[in-house]
Amino acid sequence: MMENEYFFLRNIHKALGLAPDNDRSKEQYPELFAAPDTRKILHRVRNRTAEERNELVELLRTNAQALGIHLHPAESEADAAAIVVEIIRSREPEFSHTKHVILHDHPDVAALQLWKRFTREAVTVHTTFSSDHELREKTIASFIGITAPAIGVAESATVIQLTRPGQPRSTSLVPSIHIALLRRDKLVADLEEAYTLLREEGRLDSMVFISGPSKTADIEAQMVHGAHGPREVHLIILPSSAGPPMAATGD
Amino acid sequence: MAGKTVSLFIQCLVDTMFPQVGEAMVAVFDRLGVPLAYPAGQTCCGQPAWNSGYRREAAAAARHFIEVFEGAEVIVCPSGSCVHMVRHHYPELFEDDPAMAAKARAVAANTFEFTQYLVDVLGVTDTESRFSGSVTYHDSCHLSRGLGIAMQPRTLLGNVRGLKLIEMRDSDTCCGFGGTFSVNYPEISTAMVDEKIENILATGADGVVGCDISCLMNIEGRLTRRGEKVKVLHIAEILAGLRGGDQ
Amino acid sequence: MKTSSPSTYREAAVAGIDSAQLQKSLQGLQNRFGKGAMELWAGMADQEMRDRVKESRMKTFEHLDIVLAELAKNVRARGGQVHFAVTAQDAVNYTLAVAKKNEVKRVVKGKSMTSMEVDIDPALEQEGIEVVETDLGEYIIQLAGDRPSHIIAPCIHLNRNQIGRLFTDKLGIDFTEDPPTLTMAARKALREKLLTADMGLTGCNLACAETGMISLVSNEGNIRMATTMPRVVVALMGMERVVATMAEHRETLQLLTRGAALQKLSTYVSFLGGPASKDDPDGPREFHLVIIDNGRSRILADPEFREVLACIRCGACLNICPVYGKIGGHAYNSPYCGPIGAVVTPLLDGINKHADLCKGETLCGACKDICPVKNDLPRMLSALRHKLAYGSDRWNTRQHNPAEARAFRVWRLLVTRPFLYRTLIGLGRIVQRPFIGKEGTIRKMAGIAAGWTAGRDLPPVARRTFHQLWKEKYAGNRPTAPTIETPEEK
Repeated sequence: MMENEYFFLRNIHKALGLAPDNDRSKEQYPELFAAPDTRKILHRVRNRTAEERNELVELLRTNAQALGIHLHPAESEADAAAIVVEIIRSREPEFSHTKHVILHDHPDVAALQLWKRFTREAVTVHTTFSSDHELREKTIASFIGITAPAIGVAESATVIQLTRPGQPRSTSLVPSIHIALLRRDKLVADLEEAYTLLREEGRLDSMVFISGPSKTADIEAQMVHGAHGPREVHLIILPSSAGPPMAATGD
Repeated sequence: MAGKTVSLFIQCLVDTMFPQVGEAMVAVFDRLGVPLAYPAGQTCCGQPAWNSGYRREAAAAARHFIEVFEGAEVIVCPSGSCVHMVRHHYPELFEDDPAMAAKARAVAANTFEFTQYLVDVLGVTDTESRFSGSVTYHDSCHLSRGLGIAMQPRTLLGNVRGLKLIEMRDSDTCCGFGGTFSVNYPEISTAMVDEKIENILATGADGVVGCDISCLMNIEGRLTRRGEKVKVLHIAEILAGLRGGDQ
Repeated sequence: MKTSSPSTYREAAVAGIDSAQLQKSLQGLQNRFGKGAMELWAGMADQEMRDRVKESRMKTFEHLDIVLAELAKNVRARGGQVHFAVTAQDAVNYTLAVAKKNEVKRVVKGKSMTSMEVDIDPALEQEGIEVVETDLGEYIIQLAGDRPSHIIAPCIHLNRNQIGRLFTDKLGIDFTEDPPTLTMAARKALREKLLTADMGLTGCNLACAETGMISLVSNEGNIRMATTMPRVVVALMGMERVVATMAEHRETLQLLTRGAALQKLSTYVSFLGGPASKDDPDGPREFHLVIIDNGRSRILADPEFREVLACIRCGACLNICPVYGKIGGHAYNSPYCGPIGAVVTPLLDGINKHADLCKGETLCGACKDICPVKNDLPRMLSALRHKLAYGSDRWNTRQHNPAEARAFRVWRLLVTRPFLYRTLIGLGRIVQRPFIGKEGTIRKMAGIAAGWTAGRDLPPVARRTFHQLWKEKYAGNRPTAPTIETPEEK
């Protein structure tokens, strides 16, 4: 053990009235890291009826509205694509003059088939393949980033974006507008359910909970959207995936 | 109802500067036929020392208090902060002395604030008092937050004939007294009491009522300095009907 | 007791009280967030959550060695580097070494009180490294060469006009008072800094030992930027900012964002615990977690104060404190202001040095009620005053005011000797005579009461005390009936 760490922990031992060189370990205190019993929650999450899911979407809609999130229910991939195309057409880039859009390497995003929808307009579509060494530049150049988060949380209008190969962190951060595609079956009621699914994920990489557009109230407590992150957030609710209902990221 | 003899615990400020509040309390109890006693050896509960960190001195005062009041059937005081001191801090002062701690706990359990005793113990919600005029009520911190007493005084005031109670904004925000704080940090204390006064004035009430003379002394001291005409009354004075808004 | 020359705390407090802008902002803040939080707690369906979180915080502290070791193990398993810094200087040295090794030219900071506590900016700047605050409020403070005055809203003491002029001066934009326009100007200027910085330097709101990840909350997105775009990320973490499990993390986080800004969640909650994996196309190449003691183990050791470590730094106590609500944050002269600052600053930086923080409150108890983890700050303020009253070896504290101590010793003699006590009251009645004005009150006093009479009248000692009145008017002729006649029974 490094010297610093040794002295540091020794001070804690002293503070707790323990022998300075004691080597107590977490195995002696199983309750400290005891895993909660999540079977009930998992069962609930995995067996929601269509009606219950509708209720969750309604709850999400209410909470999303309060946070300034644009919520778009989509009947199909084509429907979603039309919504996305409309957003791309109607918005102007903030930091450049050309329209670049960057997409996560994710099947739900790929299903929009955006690359073939702008034949007569100057819209450049990039995908975040992990092998791409120019990704940073492309992300900075893009005014819209499109992702498919792993989990949505109705209670707080949150999407949970896990970092994984082909799905970098900056896509939902650096562009001025963030569009998130969420399948209905990835929507859970509250954070407790979301954390339960995250636990099921096993080892987590970096991730972010996103609840609405970037905002600040630092100048005379007046709310302004778009401090550093996206100033506009769109959440498109897609139909449930065909596969087995709800593995957190079961693509 | 079996009547216990109430031993009056007269806060030092009431004793020396506002004796009429003690007299008012006597009048209310007399009207209710409550037997009274006044342990003559009482001085100060020790709160000033406690608040300034002087716990040995506070403990000495507490010890004296406990000696004086130990034999009392029940102890009643017209001050929330003094009762808070006895109830919550006395037992803490003798943590290293189990015998004294036991005595302190016994005295603590037997000590009540005036309105608390009337409403919660005696079940008296109407003292058959009269007052003509409107008042607003100030929730003193140790009374409302420390002892959880907020409805009792309002209930009693609500049953005073001729009295109109107008709630002020932020009635439970501190008036800025804080014991030695008011002397050591007068600018902050004054700024705080000024806000309290703005809230009092905004009600348009003829008077402001409270259960703690220390807060009331602070509020009154500032009101008169500012030349405001609002009357300041301890609740006992209203319940005794000694003073009216139409005097 | 107090000498007549005003202290720094008092001077700064007066400046705050005299600032109309600050008074307006503080009032708005307290009306919205202070009252809002109280309503939120009252309306919470799960009324046990706050107690549960407090309990889990305290349990974590009892096993802090184990929990921190587990955190370090799991961060290292992610490829992150963990440094245990016993002192502030140690944390600064380590961070500086990381910056130098990586040839860092520009550091972007996420709002971090810990970074102010260890005072890292001057050390970096001395090495020629540019340090940029990226939280809008902190950025404004940095441009103005000012100090933050609120944990969550650092530039609450500045108005839009001042900020407009500052931006014209420092960013070269046309003068405007429009908050959205000003925000966009800062967005643009800071985007450049955030995208080109070599190192991100953040605090840590809450680390989770079980997962080996820290989490950072922000509404602006600056912290996400600062932890995503630079090559190197260093997170400074007070050693108490840790929970053992994700389950504890969830509830603690929910209290944090609710207490801070009445939000179910802040806009962003970022979790990270290591460098980007080799398949990740973005994210830092190096991640360092600096776990800082800097006086915290001394707090941990003292059962009177351990509780304060449970604080989750939401700032709710500032939003209800009637003293903070008048004086603002600058008077505390510390990165930690308000009631929490009044307790934690003396404990970290010296009780004597910050005696005014210990004594400058009314102990009204509002902070205890609003605290998401129900920290009994008034109790701890009282305990700090106890240290000042007699001195304390454990806290390297000397008796603060010997004259005051003597006065209380005399006071003790009086209150334990009724005859002396009564005699003195009689004496007071005589001594006060020259001070009583024609209104019957005392308008000007010397000595300890001068502070009182500066702004308030003082009632004189009554002609007869209650003690005397009782003897004269009430003692005889007492009803002795053992029963009480209540109005109903009449």
